[in-house]
Amino acid sequence: MSDISEKPAGELWGREGFREDPYIAAATLDEAGDAPAVILPLAVWLGLEDDVRNATNRKIGVSVAPGESIDPLLPLLDTIPVIALQFPAFNDGRSYSKAEMLKSQHQFKGELRAVGDVLIDQVAYMLRTGFDTLKVTHAVTLTRLADHNLHDTPVYYQPGRGSHSAPGTYSWRRVPGA
Amino acid sequence: MYRYDEFDHAFVSARVEQFKDQVERRLAGELTEDQFRPLRLMNGVYLQLHAYMLRVAIPYGTLSSRQMRKLAHIARHYDRGYGHFTTRQNLQYNWPALKDMPKVLDELASVEMHALQTSGNCIRNVTADHFAGAAADEVADPRPYAEILRQWSSMHPEFSYLPRKFKIAVTGAERDRAAIQVHDIGLHLKKNDAGELGFAVYVGGGQGRTPMVAKKIRDFLPVEDLLSYTTAIMRVYNLNGRRDNKYKARIKILVHETGTEELTRQVEAEWQVLKETDLKLPQKDVDAIDSYFAPPSLPVRPEGWSGLAAARKADHSFSTWVDQNVTPHKNPDYGVVTISLKPIGGIPGDATDAQMDLVADIAEKFSQDEIRVSHEQNLVLPHVAIADLRIVYDLLLTDGLATANAGLITDIIACPGLDYCALANARSIPVAQRISERFGKPERQADIGELKIKISGCINACGHHHVGHIGILGVEKKGEELYQISLGGSGDEICTIGDITGRGFSSEEIVDAVETIVDRYLDIRTDKEENFLATYRRVGAAPFKDALYSEAANAA
Ligand code: SF4
Repeated sequence: MSDISEKPAGELWGREGFREDPYIAAATLDEAGDAPAVILPLAVWLGLEDDVRNATNRKIGVSVAPGESIDPLLPLLDTIPVIALQFPAFNDGRSYSKAEMLKSQHQFKGELRAVGDVLIDQVAYMLRTGFDTLKVTHAVTLTRLADHNLHDTPVYYQPGRGSHSAPGTYSWRRVPGA
Repeated sequence: MYRYDEFDHAFVSARVEQFKDQVERRLAGELTEDQFRPLRLMNGVYLQLHAYMLRVAIPYGTLSSRQMRKLAHIARHYDRGYGHFTTRQNLQYNWPALKDMPKVLDELASVEMHALQTSGNCIRNVTADHFAGAAADEVADPRPYAEILRQWSSMHPEFSYLPRKFKIAVTGAERDRAAIQVHDIGLHLKKNDAGELGFAVYVGGGQGRTPMVAKKIRDFLPVEDLLSYTTAIMRVYNLNGRRDNKYKARIKILVHETGTEELTRQVEAEWQVLKETDLKLPQKDVDAIDSYFAPPSLPVRPEGWSGLAAARKADHSFSTWVDQNVTPHKNPDYGVVTISLKPIGGIPGDATDAQMDLVADIAEKFSQDEIRVSHEQNLVLPHVAIADLRIVYDLLLTDGLATANAGLITDIIACPGLDYCALANARSIPVAQRISERFGKPERQADIGELKIKISGCINACGHHHVGHIGILGVEKKGEELYQISLGGSGDEICTIGDITGRGFSSEEIVDAVETIVDRYLDIRTDKEENFLATYRRVGAAPFKDALYSEAANAA
């Protein structure tokens, strides 16, 4: 067990642990000033000129609310460094489906991030549907993550990321591990 | 029957360990009730009017004797000596203490049972025909597919935070005993012209505030596509189902608002992407699960029929019970026995620990160790030799389990209602008890014939009143409990939602009102062969409304 009194080095969590979040969230590009990495709301992001969006001197990611469709992003996925899918309330599960579709069907290679009301019970589900990172604010979740207590099961009944087929058993079953 | 392997055991015991930790933290005050709520719900623990309630999953209603004995043991040691079988083929304990819950879950796990996914906005316990694997009219046993769905839907990472709860039912016969058309997804297992197995897929049925009959979106889905197609439906629902209003969040509303054609198009489009993925079922896996449900090898017992005739002649009550509670089996030497949990004047669906033990013993000796729970809140012994019917009947008789009323007017479905349920408007159980007493005489019931009465204590419709031939719904008006009547509902293959007759009746009036309806039916049926539902379908609501409201007016 790690020392839970140790402050996480930022609120961005991935399978390797906590790390500093290079991105800031902003409502517009102006508001972001000269920040080198910024995440903009979907509508704003879509309104950017191509050359701004693809500029090499700064990274511009996009944030998608549960009610927004990912369809307009699909032709541009190669150019997006990070997609942040929102969980405004823990019980709004739409972003799980979007994560699954982005990773499995559309081969999104960038960082997929969960933002919002991330509870510890959901972390394992998020990783398995394809999220790479979680932007966590919930205190209990922070403590549990620092403690490496993911509230996960030792086996899964569905295919998903971070797991492989269980030899000798049914096609839908998986065990954790790459 | 399906048996857990190491994989299943590892899964269930991990969940129990997690819940133990959560209960301890709750009891120590580290978790508030608000924080604890979603965690306990995930484990089937509800907070009712008077106490915590535990809802145990009985997948597709199938139990072994050993499991039934464990349920009896839990009732005896952790509850007040009984359990309540529900319309979802589950069992509810009404009085266990929170501190005992982890122990109860341990006990359940020791017989390969759990309480997972019996609440919350996830895919709930998958239900199936309670005569599966036994009924003479079955094309194939639906339970292997229910089991595959049960596994696949367990803690599904994508579908655990749906807009609302989600119920799947599977049947394997034309005669629909699983009410698949009032489920979110209904699957009818059948054979195509080439003799291959597949499913007709129904979507968007449901009861509650806005009852709807499901729409068929596919006539034949090959077995290998079961999980990919279900995933496609779930994904379309998860992304598009309404989340702004709890009462409009079920998939039936999405189907209704999107239109069946467009929704089908969306599902089929999503399925095209999923079809050739890891979700495709290899035949060897289907066969492996299927082998758990291989029909028991039943000894040849032709001697039963001659003895039966004599036994029936000698005992009229036994004969009535055979007529009413025994259904044809695939094997002509055998029958499927319904054990009524509806004694006259009793609480529908309740069974004591002693009764559960007795049923377990009988099943072990006379029914291949198998028991079923029906959504009609009865128990079923699926494989009883005709030659053993008499002895089984005598044993059932010793503890009040031989009521000969399956499918009759006193075989009433009733939800827990205001006696237990925090959401109720009105009592359901006492109404069921009084109706049962009013019509309890065997001759009278037999004369009335098949008639399904279903009672719900509020619009959530756990008592399935919308599909009752006579449905009764408790409503609250100006602080008074009132009962609204609907007629002509049916949950079988010709599925219909009942029509509301008009203003409701008080608790004092309701039993008389039911009697008025029944008397009118007896007056106008063409003959005894025309049952209540057929008569209603022929004449419509008018004669019944007339009887109800003109008589009420006369009395006033
Ligand atoms: S129908 Fe209403 S009263 Fe009856 S059990 Fe369901 S929620 Fe409770």
